[in-house]
Amino acid sequence: MRAPVKFLSVGYAAAIYTFIFLPVIVLVVFSLQSTAFPIPPFTGPSLRWYAAVLNDTRLTSALINSLIVASISSAIAVALGFLSAWGLARFVLVGSAAMRSLITLPLTVSYLIIGMGLVILFNMAGLPKSLLTAGIGHVVMNLPLCFAIIYSQMGDHQINIERAARDLGAKEWQVLLMVTMPVMWPAIFASLFLSMTFSWDEFVISFLLTRFDTTLPVEIWNLLRSGLNPKTNAVGSLVFVVSVTFAIILELILLRRRPS
Amino acid sequence: MRQREHTSTVRVLPWALVAPALLWTLLFFVLPFLAMGLLSLTPHEGSGITLSNYRQFFTNPSYYWAMINSLELTAMVTVISVLLAYPFAWILAEQVPVHWQRLALLFAVLPFWTSYVVRSYSWLLALSENGIINDALMGSGLFTHALQLANTRVATVIGFVHFFVMLLTLTIFANLKQLSPSYRKAAADLGAGPVNIFIHVILPLTLPGIMVGAFLTFVLTIGDYITPQILGGNNALVMSQLIMMQIGRRGDFPLASALALILMAVVTIAYIACARWLKIERT
Amino acid sequence: MSINACTSLKRRLAAFALTTVALVGVEALSPASATELNALIWCDHADPALLKPFEDANGVKVNVKEFEGTGAGLAIVEQSQPGDWDVMVIDSIDVPRGVEKGLFEPLPEDKLPFGDLFPEVTMDSSTKVDGKRYGITEKFGFNAVGFNNSKADPADMQSLNSLVDSKYKGRIAIYDYYLPIIGMAALAIGKKTAELTEGDLPAIKEVLLKLKANAKLVGEITASQTALATGEVDILVGGGEFVTAGLAKENPALDFSIPKEGAILWSQSLAMFSTSKNKDMALKFIQYVMSPEGQARLATSSCYWGMPANKMAALDDAQKITLHFDQQPDFLKRAQPYPAPNADLDKKMQDMWTEVLQAQ
Repeated sequence: MRAPVKFLSVGYAAAIYTFIFLPVIVLVVFSLQSTAFPIPPFTGPSLRWYAAVLNDTRLTSALINSLIVASISSAIAVALGFLSAWGLARFVLVGSAAMRSLITLPLTVSYLIIGMGLVILFNMAGLPKSLLTAGIGHVVMNLPLCFAIIYSQMGDHQINIERAARDLGAKEWQVLLMVTMPVMWPAIFASLFLSMTFSWDEFVISFLLTRFDTTLPVEIWNLLRSGLNPKTNAVGSLVFVVSVTFAIILELILLRRRPS
Repeated sequence: MRQREHTSTVRVLPWALVAPALLWTLLFFVLPFLAMGLLSLTPHEGSGITLSNYRQFFTNPSYYWAMINSLELTAMVTVISVLLAYPFAWILAEQVPVHWQRLALLFAVLPFWTSYVVRSYSWLLALSENGIINDALMGSGLFTHALQLANTRVATVIGFVHFFVMLLTLTIFANLKQLSPSYRKAAADLGAGPVNIFIHVILPLTLPGIMVGAFLTFVLTIGDYITPQILGGNNALVMSQLIMMQIGRRGDFPLASALALILMAVVTIAYIACARWLKIERT
Repeated sequence: MSINACTSLKRRLAAFALTTVALVGVEALSPASATELNALIWCDHADPALLKPFEDANGVKVNVKEFEGTGAGLAIVEQSQPGDWDVMVIDSIDVPRGVEKGLFEPLPEDKLPFGDLFPEVTMDSSTKVDGKRYGITEKFGFNAVGFNNSKADPADMQSLNSLVDSKYKGRIAIYDYYLPIIGMAALAIGKKTAELTEGDLPAIKEVLLKLKANAKLVGEITASQTALATGEVDILVGGGEFVTAGLAKENPALDFSIPKEGAILWSQSLAMFSTSKNKDMALKFIQYVMSPEGQARLATSSCYWGMPANKMAALDDAQKITLHFDQQPDFLKRAQPYPAPNADLDKKMQDMWTEVLQAQ
């Protein structure tokens, strides 16, 4: 009974992993194409498209813009999420359930609609589109997620630690900074990481809410509009390599920090 | 005693903590929604209040068919993704040695750190007549002609399933890991075989994980613009494409708003149906 | 305790303010050159090979935003503030729409090379309104039949009727822009594009439905190019040099033909915004694009190729051959302009297009 199950498991897992990696393999392989079409047949490895990407100032500045928008909007989302989660978890407030529902409501709305709503609002207010407006949209998108993750981790067992700290004379902000935050750090980290991931790769809101300075996904989309180009493969592969490196570094940091 | 003193003297604090998030949500989420609602009741040219945008949706077949296409597509994607993801999550949680599990999960998530736009585009190339999938299928002798995969609804489904198998694997895996082994032991002690244990104990207990993943799949699929646009070949338009067409090509924001609100209504219905599993509870 | 509440509140507000300032600061820090030109363009103007010489020569930064289709462009303008844009690329035939909305500034005829343009593309009827010139044609080409001459019979490609023939079922892509395709359908039933009325729509719809049923996909430039280049399809309805010329170097089998029923002439113009804050620089830009060097670069831009409107364009012989430069006068005789419907007919056409897209 065991052996066939094991065998099937390995086979199934291998099939799923192949399926998951398929587009990435196509992507990377054809980023090394030496001719101008990223389609079979493969014409020998060449780095010309990577050089083209690094020379393309629109792409490189879009990449930097993406990083800026992702980090700042995620930081804000996590900060707002953490503070409101703590406030709602630790204190009894009138309409608490309603507030929780309101903050998590955007989770059920598709990004297209969030983006559209903001376009209409900013239009009426006369606010021009920019990375700032896109960033605002990203916070709206990520705040519910951060709140939900952090709130769900604020268990009652932490109350005792906090109470102990207060009894020892700690002020409220000291409790927050030196007790709650370190204890909650996995949840904070998880929500920061997820927010950055979503913001970094987000297309629709950025597309609707930026004008000239735009994020990487939008710039890639523009690049795609101009036709078949292995440059897009090169960009995708570069993003992939950077992300993987980032993840490896993260893993090493986590492994080092983990208590024995 | 301490607690009551505490809460009565810091009444401002909790509100101050919650206010920023609330204000942000009200200003940049609720307000736009109200603006959209108002706009949906105005005509494209001219002024006044009218239901014409909504009427257009319900009377024009090419519009309400977009909703039907959206729902069909989403249902297919959700069902297929759940069916493919569950065994995978189970294998990762049960068959893979514990210290390798995080790495296995990481590997499964890794490919999604390429750009979403480029990934969809890679699927278009992979599924094309000269692409590697057709090459493999014909090379293995299974097929003599290339399959028409790219620029069809099939391609769109594949593109979506690719992402959501990963997402559902994560939610189901998390759920499986949380299950206390004592349930299984108890059932075994009572004489249940592994199959029975799975059907009557594990499956029901992992339902929350499935439902959360399924709901996310539903919301993200029905609202997504890129995958259908790149992979679908403009065949069988879905709501998101229809909405973008109104914004992009026509600048008809009133109609786009109406369509968006209708889409929202559908998602809300789905949310209410799944509400039991979606409550955010504290551990 | 209440003092602590105040302190923590102040701290939080400070943090919030700091982040907002940081965000705004990042915006301000983005290089804002002394002079900038904001251009609303089609993708062929984004080519650095075209922009850089102008930027270097004039010490100006050209900011570009790409769009497709006049409707989309006007939508962007509507969502912007006056003064946001300086120049715009627009279908020549749609220049009156911009003038109607009061968007465009009259151009000085004496400062632009109107005498050097191909006469059929100056399109005075559209670019001139009330005796004033609002747009200058910079590039043109044809929406006709693009095809792979090793897969589709060039003889068949001389008639629009082969497009609905079952011989090519599933081998066709349709270019995703409703105006030229509706124009081509009109040609197929013998109607003139300039004279289309609502009454013609049902007959046109029939042609379109037959075409859609025979087609594999409806796609914009990338999707169509990809499909043609990867061999997904062999024929592109609405295709022309703008799809095939750029691909020709890699795949010489890609070409286009003007069928006997005729083809649709697409022509793009440059216009200046009346609310522009940099009118002098905008004019300089337009003059640059219309100069022989600018025209050659625009004609062979990386996004898509096309015929330069200026006969004096500095193209080399190989480029001229790819563009069928010498056959242009003949092509132009057999081409008709885009349909130019009024707002009401336009909406009906767009609705019809949506219906066709949804049809099986």
